[in-house]
This record gives sequence, structure tokens and C-alpha cells, in this order.
Amino acid sequence: MSLHRRSLLRGLFQGSAVAMALPLLDCFLDGHGEALADGRPIPVRFGTFFWGCGLTRQLFLPRSTGAAYEDMPQLAALKPFKAKMNLLSGYRAYLDSRPNIQHWSGNAAIATGIAPGGDGQFDAPTLDQIIAGQIGKGSRFRSIEIACSGNKRESYSSSTGGANVNPPEVSPSGLYTRLFGPGFNDGKGEWKPDPSLMMQQSVLSVVAEDRQRLMASAGAADKARLDQYFSSVRELENTMTVELQKPEIIANVTVPEAPPEMTVNKSVPVLKQTVPVFSKLLAIGLATNQSRIFNMALTEPANTMFMPGDSHVFHQATHEEPVDPALGYQPVTSQFSTHSMECFADLVAALDAITEGTGTVLDHSLVLAYTDTSNAKLHAIDGIPMFTAGSANGKVRCGLHIAGNSETVSRVGLTMQQAMGLAVDSWGAESNRTNKPISELLV
Amino acid sequence: MKLSTGLLALFLFVAGTAAALAAEAVPAPRLAGMRRLTETEYRNSIADIFGAGIEVQGRFEPDRRIGGLLSASSAILSISPAGFEAYAKMADSIAAQVVDAKHRGSLVACKPADPKAADDVCAAQVFAQYGMMLFRRPLTAEESAARIKLAHDTALKTGDFYAGLRYGMASLMAAPDFLFRTEYAVLDSDGKSWTLDAYSRASRLSYLLWDSTPDAALLQAAANGDLARPQGVAQQTERLMASPRLAAGMRAFYADFLELDTQVVKDPSFYPKYSDAVAASAREETLHTMVDLTLTRGEDLRDLLTTRKTYLNRALAAVYGVPYNFDSEWVPYEFSTDSGRSGILTQVTFLSLFSHPNRSSPTKRGVALLDIFMCQPTPQPPANVDFSIVNDINNPSLKTVRQRLLAHATNPTCAACHTRSDPIGLALENFDSIGQYRTAENGDPIDASATLQGKSFRGAIGLGQVLHDNPNFPTCFARKMFAYGTGANANLVTPPVYRSFVTAFEGSGYRVPALLKALTASPQFFSVPAPPAPVAKTALNDAKK
Repeated sequence: MSLHRRSLLRGLFQGSAVAMALPLLDCFLDGHGEALADGRPIPVRFGTFFWGCGLTRQLFLPRSTGAAYEDMPQLAALKPFKAKMNLLSGYRAYLDSRPNIQHWSGNAAIATGIAPGGDGQFDAPTLDQIIAGQIGKGSRFRSIEIACSGNKRESYSSSTGGANVNPPEVSPSGLYTRLFGPGFNDGKGEWKPDPSLMMQQSVLSVVAEDRQRLMASAGAADKARLDQYFSSVRELENTMTVELQKPEIIANVTVPEAPPEMTVNKSVPVLKQTVPVFSKLLAIGLATNQSRIFNMALTEPANTMFMPGDSHVFHQATHEEPVDPALGYQPVTSQFSTHSMECFADLVAALDAITEGTGTVLDHSLVLAYTDTSNAKLHAIDGIPMFTAGSANGKVRCGLHIAGNSETVSRVGLTMQQAMGLAVDSWGAESNRTNKPISELLV
Repeated sequence: MKLSTGLLALFLFVAGTAAALAAEAVPAPRLAGMRRLTETEYRNSIADIFGAGIEVQGRFEPDRRIGGLLSASSAILSISPAGFEAYAKMADSIAAQVVDAKHRGSLVACKPADPKAADDVCAAQVFAQYGMMLFRRPLTAEESAARIKLAHDTALKTGDFYAGLRYGMASLMAAPDFLFRTEYAVLDSDGKSWTLDAYSRASRLSYLLWDSTPDAALLQAAANGDLARPQGVAQQTERLMASPRLAAGMRAFYADFLELDTQVVKDPSFYPKYSDAVAASAREETLHTMVDLTLTRGEDLRDLLTTRKTYLNRALAAVYGVPYNFDSEWVPYEFSTDSGRSGILTQVTFLSLFSHPNRSSPTKRGVALLDIFMCQPTPQPPANVDFSIVNDINNPSLKTVRQRLLAHATNPTCAACHTRSDPIGLALENFDSIGQYRTAENGDPIDASATLQGKSFRGAIGLGQVLHDNPNFPTCFARKMFAYGTGANANLVTPPVYRSFVTAFEGSGYRVPALLKALTASPQFFSVPAPPAPVAKTALNDAKK
């Protein structure tokens, strides 16, 4: 169904009937998975979870692959969700002629399929935003970013590539306001659209008229920046269009009270307090269709998580802690990796706690968790550990350990896109280009 | 900046000259650059235009440090969907406040014939006034007409003139010409090189010197062509520098220069005295010291690295371990000669920003100091380094950081950088991770002696003097000020660009006001690269397609 936004608006604006049925927008899950009673598909979400400085090989990497892989100590917190997750090991970020930019090349290659040319820069839009381009429009927000440590620079989601990143929410109260503050509607009770939204849409129409004049004499770099700006204007127009529709919430969920102001930083005990709150709010936000795309960053790549009273932060410990000869690894460092997995488990648990139809929000989502290095001490980018969680409503087979055998990390990104219904057959650049999704995962 | 008769006269004047100019065949100005407003630029601009009573609540896009400055990223970053969502909300909230019952009397210059109906004349007047201030140039006829129509239509539909005004105003503040400082270039008087037009010059001067939007007099100087001439630029620079608002402008630059936005977290189990309040106080102490020395007292910039004069409040006095028995919140204080303190290098800000959460780091301090004060960034360490010796605090023969670091730096690959950075940091080892003075670590006395580029010295006082006498510091400072004003990457500001104003700076005895005057007077401050030559249309080019 094609419906021109302005024609819709004109109808609304002139006070004509607003009880207009709108399609449940871009969903691609018709043949498989769970659907609503009337046959419409349940919306599927995609998200990422990022943590810095990798895991400890001896503690996370099972010897066996496939379905019956052994439980590993570093993944203990994730054990309850083992059947709904996959462990991906052994994939490699290829650099070709580019330098290994420490604590950046690995994660940027996973996110874009391209080894980056500079520190802090993405050479293409990130995976989540590519997927958002296809499925993000049916919700209020194209995507939700969260920096669990409270640092507003810790966002690894970019709509355009380059140094532009999507600004993250940096406190639970901020996330709450964004999702459930003004503009939120739970669809309960008598519903009518907020008339001021239509005025605000006409404001955006006026703003959009500046495009041609500015583009006419801008240089190439500024043209790209203007393009991003005007895309952002269009995104907000889309958001408002969604807000003008009666929300249809499938999940069995109640919006909670606003959380109190909380201390937010990278101390492990603080993260153990804040990550579950961020996760719960996010899960409810997804369940109420505020967004279908999210990115949660636990920390920055050179992870400065710390334990009060210990004289080392995580990243420092990876470089300065001696390898214990008996254990074969760095014991303090490995504790930080374990804490990171516990935080990831908090997110997975929050998604799995909300029922939706006969499944959970996790079942109707696909989450990719990844990091920047395999062995942070060496800044190694072969064998970077990754996980998927959720089956994307039956599109992804779960419960497996897949060994990548040094094939490119882009295979993971390609698989995510295909599972989310994108018509893409190859992805990445140079040695990271691939046309081989991980077929074991795709149903 | 409330509405004044002077501004009204200016709009009429501008309308007249615009019509006159349209008759001549001048090459059209081209968009030569866009600077996304920083958070403080945004807040200050709104406060100047609408008054401090208007609340600005929202979330700003993150910026990134390039060439040592966040300001450089304003010239390359755009606005993301989530960022624009926040800007649009702020625009709407500010516009709603401007026209509400509380503010409209003072902020809306005209009264509509009927408040329940459209009034295009009054709306046009309001948009012309605020459009000029928000866009930092007169609105074009199209820009104005679009807002008048929006206000008209909205007033008809809502039966409220002020609702129309509100959404028209919101559209100005959500526009790219407000959220970015759009810089337009024109052909210079030589007919060959390109330079910023008068309005773009007004913005550069105003945001450099005041961290805010041009005032009415500056826009007037742009409208009447004064700013197209060196003498006019000099006059306006003098005027802006004579204002007390220069301090606000320089604070913004100093905060960027010193990287005061760096997130600091200290482990409370090691440093229970440290808190967010201490961190905020420490930033204020450093900025207060810098403004006092460079502007209020007009002293030699280099003395920042040696002065013992500072400003303290109660929270800082506790960290510095000095008695605090004063009545007012902030008091001037001079450290004693045996305090070991030497200028801003030994203030809590610098010492705590460039340390680990739980211990000092000579390497971090040395690397930061070289980058910030000398414009000498350090390359990344090699990927595969064994740092374990630095860590082992239980090693019976390597009790201090110095001993452990020197053992690590015997590795020749590491030595190349560590011989540059570590002496600087080791000279500051008398100060722990939050800047408290100490004389021993793990029971061994701290040796704060160091040698840098052939010069031996001891402790922070020796280091401060060596850096004070190093000409790289004032040159680096001037390069970064130029980069800050123009949006350039400071690492790419070369001697031909900075020679004239660095020479003037040196000649003044390194007085910051003299640098500002020389910098804004240099043609490079407004110059713009020529546009790439258009590709000629030839049969060959066509054939390639």
C-alpha cells in the first residue's frame, strides 16, 4: 500500500476523518514464525550489544562446535539462554593494506564490513543503520542508542559512516523520557492524534525547502553533511507520521514509573545496577514499538571498566597483568570479561522477560553482541568473539557454536541482514567482502 | 539582545541594499563551510537573542577531538536523526516560550490587528528581526515568505496569531542556517582569491571572541560593508575585545584547548575526597586562573606554567591540603614556594584528567602535555607490547612507577616514544591521581628528576620552567587558537599561515589580547580555498560516461 505522507497530512490537517487504517508497515515475515491472530506478522527488532577488550579464550571457547557444545565458565551468566543464542568464534577482520588501529579496526570491520582507514571513523554506515533503513520506519524512533557508562561519545552506530555517530542516551532517566515521555502513547483508552504534531510537520516541510538552495553551491563534503541533515529531517517526519497512528501494542507490558536519577559510570558495581535498568526500559520500548533498532554500548573499545579498590582498569590490566603461568591467562583481566558477559546476560534476560504472543520479545528480535579484539593484550583481531541472541521470529536457528575458521567477520554481518529480510547477496570490502552468509544459522 | 530601534533600522537598511545589490552582476557567494553550533554556542546564542529567561533543555550531539580541538569536528560533523529530533524539540520549546503570555510583551515587537487571526505584516516583521539574528544574515525573500505562509495558515486553522508565530519561529531554529554557522565565500578584491563575506566574518569574530552570535552592531558592520575591509574588522575586534564578554569567549577556547571535557572517574576507595563537585571546581579553578592571568592582568601566557597564584574554594582546599578559612566561595590563593606547585600543570584538573582512576600515569601526563601544549601528538604504541613489568606493584626491586616504567622502556621499540613523554610525567610524580602532593610511593622516596631535550630538571617547578622557556608552547597555543576560530585541524596549520600572528604574539611578550588582534587581522583568518575548477565539457568526458 502506498500512501503519500503529505496527502495523509492534508486530510488530517483539514479536520477530516482521522480514523484511517494504516498498514503494520515493513515486515517481511510472512511464511515463517509467529503471526498475530489476524495473520499480520509480529514486528521483528534488531539490536547490537558492544563491549570492549574481548574475552578470555581459555574461559569462553568451547572445544566442540554445533549444538551440544560444552558450557564455559566465562559464559555462565548466559547459560539460561543458551538455546536462544549462538556463539560465533574464529571469524577474522582482514586489514589488507590498512593499519591495525588498536581497539578500533576489529569492531569497525564487524560493524561495516570494511577495515577502517582512521581511528574513530567508520568507512560506511553501520550494520544496524543499514537494517534500520529497511525496518526502522514503522516505529517512532529509527534507532535507540544507549551508552551504559554515561559517556555521550560511546556510540558505535553511524547512519552515514565517517565520524558521525548517533548520540546515545546516557542515563536511565534520559532513556525513559525519550521512550515514554512526551509523544508516547500506549494506545489504551480513547485515542486521538495530537494536533500539534501536524503543525510540527509543517515546520519540517518549511525547513526541507532550504535543501536546494544550500546544495546548489556546497562542496562535496558539505553536500554529504547536508544530505545527512535532510535525511534526519525526513526521519523526524516519519516519526511524526507514526505518532499520528493509533499504536497497536501486542506485548503484555505496562510502562513503569520513571526511574530515579542513578550514578552512571564504569565501576563494575555501578554497571551491575544500571545495565538491568537500561535493559528493562529498552525492552519495554521495543515491546511498545517505540523503535525496532537499538545499540547498547557497555563501554568503549579500550574498556576502562574498573573494580573499586583495584589499581587497574580493564584495559590497563590487559596490558600490564602478567599471564599466570599455571592458568595460561590473565586472571584479573578475565574477571572483567566475565563481568561484561554478565551485563550482556542482563540485556538478554530483559528481552526474554516480556511475553508477546506465544513467545517473548527476545524471540522476535535478533541481537548481535560483539567486541573489538580477541586477545586485547595483543590487540588481536582474529577470532573476535561474537554472539547472536533471539531467532528473529524463527528466521535464525539457535543453540549453536559456529567456528569461523578465519573467514571474514563480514559473514556475520551479511547473515544478520539476510535474517532481517534485506535483499542483499554480498557485503563488505576487499578481503572482507563476502557473498557467503552463515548458512547453518539461516532457517 | 532584545529588539531595538537600531535593529529595526538595520532591517530596513538591509532590505534597501539587498535590492540595490541585486541590480549589479556580482558573482554569487558560494557555501564554503558549515560549522555545527557547539552546545555553548547554541545556549549563548539563544540567551543573547531572546534573553536569559528562555530555558534551553535538550540533548546535544557528541563532538570529537581532532588535532587537539573539539571545535575542528564542528566543521566535519553533521546532525544525526536522534540529534535532529532533539534540536527540533528545543526549537519548538524555545519558540513556544518566546510567544507565550509571559514573554510576548517584551519579545514580540508588534501586536496583531486581531490576535485570533493571521497578520502577515506583524509576522513578517518578527521573522525579519529574529531571522537576521538566528541566521546571522538577512533572510532571503523565499525564506521569509515560507515562514509568513506557515504562520498565516496556522493562524487560520487554530484561530491564534501567536500559534502561527510560534511555528514560524520554530522553523527558523530547526533550519540548517541556524544549527550550522553557514559560511559564504566571495571573490576578494583582487578578483582571484576567495574570502568570507561580511556576514560570515561577523560570525567568525563573534564566536571566537564571545562564543556567541553576532550582536546588532556587528551585523550592522556586515550590512554596511565595514567588515569587508581590514579597518572595519579591526574596529569591530577592538569593540568586541573591550567587552567583558571576551572572558566568556576565551573560557570556551581554553576549555577546548585544555581538553577539560575529558570524562574523569576516580575510584572512591582510593580517593574518597574526589567527587563530581571537586571535578567541577577544578575546571573552574583552571579557567579562572587562565582568564585572570591572560586577560584581567594581561600577563605573559607562558607564566601559566610557572605561576603559584590560583583560586580556590572549599572543596579544592581539601584536596590541596591547604587551610580554608575564608568567607566567600572562591578566593585568590598563592601556593608557597615549597609547595612543589608550578602553574596549571600542577592543578587538580590536569593531574586528574590524565591519570588512571586509581593511580598516576607519567606516560598519560607526558603524552597529554606534549599534545596539548606543544602540538606534538604521540603515535599509537605497537600492537603487541608486554607491559606486565609496569604493573607488578609487588616487585620487591621495582617499588615506584619510575623504576617500573624505566624497566619497561629499555625495550628499544617502546623507548622512542617513552623517552619523549616519560620525563615530563615523571617530573610530576609528586602528585597522585587526583593531584595531591606526595613524597613517597610504596615506602620509597619519589625521584622527580628528569631530562628533556638535553635539559635536566627536578620536579614540577623545574618542568614548568623548561616548558615556559620552550617557544613551541606559545606557537602551539596560537596555532590552536587559529584552528579554533576557523574550524581547521591544528596539525595542518602551517608556518605560512601562522607566521604573521605568532611573530606579533612574540613581539607583545606573549600577551593573548595582542595575539587575538593579530590573528583576526591576518588575511588567513577569513581566507577560503578556491572552489575546484569545474570539469570542462568535452567529447572525451562525455564518452567516459
